[in-house]
Amino acid sequence: MRDTRRSFGKNKAVDGVDLQLGTGVFGLLGPNGAGKTSLLRMLATVLPPSSGEIRLLGRDPRGAGARREIRRRLGYLPQNLGYYPSFTVAEFIEYFALLKEMPSAAVPRAVAAAVERVDLGAKARAKLRTLSGGMLRRVGIAQAIVNDPDLLLLDEPTAGLDPEQRVQFRALMRILGERATVIVSTHLVEDVGAACAEVALMSDGKIVFRGTPGELTARGEGHGVGDAPLERGYSAVLSAARSGAVTAS
Amino acid sequence: MSIHNEGGRFSPADDPAAGVDLDRVWAGVAAEVWRRRPGPAERAAARLLRSPGLARALLTTPSLLLPWLISTAVVFGVGALVSLGQGQPLVWLLAPAVAATGVAFAYGPGLDPAWELSASCALPDRMVLLTRVVAVFAVNAAGGLLASAASGAATALTFGWLVPMAAVCALALAVAVALRSALAGASAGIAAWVIVVLSAQTASGQLTASVTTVSAYLPYLVVAACCAAIVIYGTRPRKGLQ
Repeated sequence: MRDTRRSFGKNKAVDGVDLQLGTGVFGLLGPNGAGKTSLLRMLATVLPPSSGEIRLLGRDPRGAGARREIRRRLGYLPQNLGYYPSFTVAEFIEYFALLKEMPSAAVPRAVAAAVERVDLGAKARAKLRTLSGGMLRRVGIAQAIVNDPDLLLLDEPTAGLDPEQRVQFRALMRILGERATVIVSTHLVEDVGAACAEVALMSDGKIVFRGTPGELTARGEGHGVGDAPLERGYSAVLSAARSGAVTAS
Repeated sequence: MSIHNEGGRFSPADDPAAGVDLDRVWAGVAAEVWRRRPGPAERAAARLLRSPGLARALLTTPSLLLPWLISTAVVFGVGALVSLGQGQPLVWLLAPAVAATGVAFAYGPGLDPAWELSASCALPDRMVLLTRVVAVFAVNAAGGLLASAASGAATALTFGWLVPMAAVCALALAVAVALRSALAGASAGIAAWVIVVLSAQTASGQLTASVTTVSAYLPYLVVAACCAAIVIYGTRPRKGLQ
């Protein structure tokens, strides 16, 4: 992404973001309204940027053919996962596998593998309307990974998961990040510390920090706000950005 | 979540039967148990549309209840307006656009709960929309035919609006599939509709005759047959293509 901007009326949701990423798990932190979701939606090719340049997997998504090829290799979990209540877990994941244009012969096995990876085997034939919020989130993760994507975008993936499931999910992210680019937007700092090799912090549409979780932690030394070291780093960088003292990226 | 070492698979050290990839075996079993076997209609649609995804979208369109109900209401509402606007070509020419817009709204971001997810998928959303429009008109036309058999009151709406629109939409989808362009398909559909409306008006001097007289049904059937022929020709199996 180069100088990417996205505005909604007068509101600048994303304001001049430069970002280049390779394989690995990348955490996107920031308070509500910082622009994380807009940034992810642009990367998911759902929302076009107002200006700037985006290249995904070596292609320019403005071209229809390139966009289609990108989407075949993309996994996306939106912040608000909409679902069809009358579909079963397996049907829902299979439906999106087909919309992603996976070869139909490969779909059943891919669906089964995705369902197992999120530990929903016992619920594979359950209607979505019968599932809890945490289970639905795992269904969303399963549909995102069903095509074994090269670019995986997860918006608040651990929302609604219990602590044990969050630990397991972080391990899954680390495995997926070995061969794919995984971008995780979250406001849960501990998820980033445990799973991400690199992290960016957004505030008011800009990236105000980029570095390792360790570097973010170091920014919090001597800062009083926050229970955990990483939270203190997060608060310190945000405070500095809001006061205009630091805009490091 | 089941997290295994080494990329999600058991290592021989974890597995008493060393060398057996239990995850892989289980995935194969689960795939067979959970897989949804498409019916004959879906298999035929997948072959004709050259896309299992479009076929699934076509078949699942009525099952998305709220968008389906709204689409059906829009289609019948526009049909009623068309009946009221007999003899006014502008009403006839605009009616398909209004109906298509209504279906697009019903299956759009406001009402389709999984729209954002669908929009991030490879299958072009315009193709999916075209498929949904065909499904809405085709199912309602089938219902209209049944209603017409039971009562003559439904005949005008069925043969004057639902059946011809189903044929025109099928033509649009056929062209879109053949040319791999939803825009080309929509253009073909619009052109076909304009030709039907204007030629009928020119021939008879009044538009209503084109949809309320029995003699007009034959051209509609010809159009439908042409659509079917185009679909079959354009989607015939070819070597090297799945």
